[in-house]
Amino acid sequence: MASTDATESEERTTDASDTDRSEATAPPEEYDGPLLQTDGLVKRFGGLTATDDVNLDIEQGERVSLIGPNGAGKSTIINLITRRLDPTEGDIRFKGQSILGLNPHEVVQRGMSKSFQQASIFPTLTVRQNARVAALAAEHGSFRFNFFRHRDRFSEVEGVARETLEAVGLWDQRESPAEDLPYGDKRRLEIGIALAADPDMLLMDEPTAGMSPEETHATVDLIEEVKEERGLTFLLVEHDMEIVFRVSDRIVVLNRGSVIAEGPPEEIRENPDVQDAYLGGVEL
Amino acid sequence: MSDETRRADDTGTVDETGTGLAGGDLLTRWRSVKERESFVILGTVVAVLLFPYLFARAPVVSEILQGYQSLAELMLIWGIFVIGFDLLHGYTGLLSFGHAAFWGGGAYAAGVFAIHVSGSPIAMILVGTTFAVLLAWVLGFLSLRRGGIYFAILTLAFAQMLFYVALQPLSNLTGGDNGLGIGGSTIEPLLGFIPLDAGVPVITMFVDTWMYMLIGIAMVVTVAFAYRVLNSPYGMVFRAIRENEQRAEFVGLNVWRYKLMSFVLSGAIAGLAGSLFAIQQARVPVESLFWTTSGEVVIMSVIGGVGSLFGGPIGAALYLYISNIVQGMSEVVLFTQIDKLFPGAQAVVLPEWASPAPYWHLILGLLFVLVVVFIPRGGIWGGLQSIGSRIGSRFGGDR
Repeated sequence: MASTDATESEERTTDASDTDRSEATAPPEEYDGPLLQTDGLVKRFGGLTATDDVNLDIEQGERVSLIGPNGAGKSTIINLITRRLDPTEGDIRFKGQSILGLNPHEVVQRGMSKSFQQASIFPTLTVRQNARVAALAAEHGSFRFNFFRHRDRFSEVEGVARETLEAVGLWDQRESPAEDLPYGDKRRLEIGIALAADPDMLLMDEPTAGMSPEETHATVDLIEEVKEERGLTFLLVEHDMEIVFRVSDRIVVLNRGSVIAEGPPEEIRENPDVQDAYLGGVEL
Repeated sequence: MSDETRRADDTGTVDETGTGLAGGDLLTRWRSVKERESFVILGTVVAVLLFPYLFARAPVVSEILQGYQSLAELMLIWGIFVIGFDLLHGYTGLLSFGHAAFWGGGAYAAGVFAIHVSGSPIAMILVGTTFAVLLAWVLGFLSLRRGGIYFAILTLAFAQMLFYVALQPLSNLTGGDNGLGIGGSTIEPLLGFIPLDAGVPVITMFVDTWMYMLIGIAMVVTVAFAYRVLNSPYGMVFRAIRENEQRAEFVGLNVWRYKLMSFVLSGAIAGLAGSLFAIQQARVPVESLFWTTSGEVVIMSVIGGVGSLFGGPIGAALYLYISNIVQGMSEVVLFTQIDKLFPGAQAVVLPEWASPAPYWHLILGLLFVLVVVFIPRGGIWGGLQSIGSRIGSRFGGDR
């Protein structure tokens, strides 16, 4: 967690007023290489190397989990990929194109969505309005000059919002303010917001943190549902091993900023290095 | 927004309880009508027409209120200003302490244009508003790089900078400390042939002069414009940014540009109000750029209700009422016209010590404190609304 604290002081340096390059250099539709690649990714905070030469390749439709003990640099990698932080060295490619120099919202517009560690929602807006905001961003792009058109005219936005809320099972609560939802439902809404942006890839930062066992269960069901229905590519950061082993095709284990093991769940379970670093030698 | 469901709920409960079907039906219809754009605009038109009559000319009411026409005009102008301010603060969640820049900037631009180019009121309004838009673009570009208190301080600093520029270096143009005297004769008649102080035919009883007509139209246009913006995708994005800026960015919205748009739209409305102020006063006091002006608009907005379209004008009216009329109430007369109802009865004149005039600042402060303590979220307008919905639920069953 030490690394996340440090992120606040070292914000990314991209000029926020830059024009959108996402439209100009949008990647070609028929790309079928790895969806996300990081190439010798290094991030240093002063003397601390939070991310040390990380090379990730995530194929389309693949479900990858990122695990590791506290302070292993998981959050830093997520922040680098979502462009909240600038890497010290290395490159990040999404759909084959480098995303360095893009703003976070431009990365989202290219199809990479994120759900946060806490329920990051719009509290006083209704559940439906929450989904609408995300659907609007997906349908209209990052900015449009349409402040004089009534929003009832945008029926496609309404359609996406409805679809999303039905998918996460919150359609019946659509008129209640988001802040009135129980915690588990808030997290579902959060995932819904991330899905409404219609991403190709979803980054989930500890989607079950702080949930009760029942809520955790419901969330895992939701993840599996989404994974089957939409064929989404996932990058999951999670502490709960049960979920990790259940959901992922491949697991990447981080320790002190670098990848120490990588492979399918069974292999990781057996790996002595992982047991050493992550579990302190405890048999899994 | 939530029409269908509410309607469904209402009819459901009415059937269930079986109380006054007709009443419940009417109430339901009323609720759905209330949210429509044309209704909001029509309501504003009626309010703008009735207001000066009730305030300045109606028997009994206006005598109790001691209102007068030019104060009614001023209330509307400030009301427009507060609507503009609230678009930024109430909806987008950005507290600016420098809105005097757009009010004063618009006023000076309109005034300077009137003196040196043309005194046509419409042209003055266009020039003042355009100037405010350009100014907002620049100041927004510079101050929106920081959030929260830093944003507030930056806007304050820029506005103060403009104040000192108007005071000294540009005093040839702005009249410096004395303010800019435009002069009533410089301001031309409306459209070239309607003098602003001439009476309006047919509806004279309601709208006294063309000056008020001009300001009233500006108010209606402002309400219609703000209502449209708030019900466009922008309105939703603004609220989303207010609620959770980071999440808004991570659904793929260019938060920075939306904030800049909010700032510019807000500045435009403030500039419109400033230009009207210059026309109505026929002069621009240098204080219109001073930080106290920025402070006044914040206070008006809080009193009336943050994040509500109609709270702004109500807050402005109350503030100006206390700072103008209560301030001048040297003698309080109760039951002024009671002899018309009960012949022979006498009006009561309170002794001098009971006069509220010396305490008007205190009264304003108390009002502010009461609002902040008891109705912090919706201000006076929010309070009125909750009373209204309570009465509604009394008669129409649930909600």
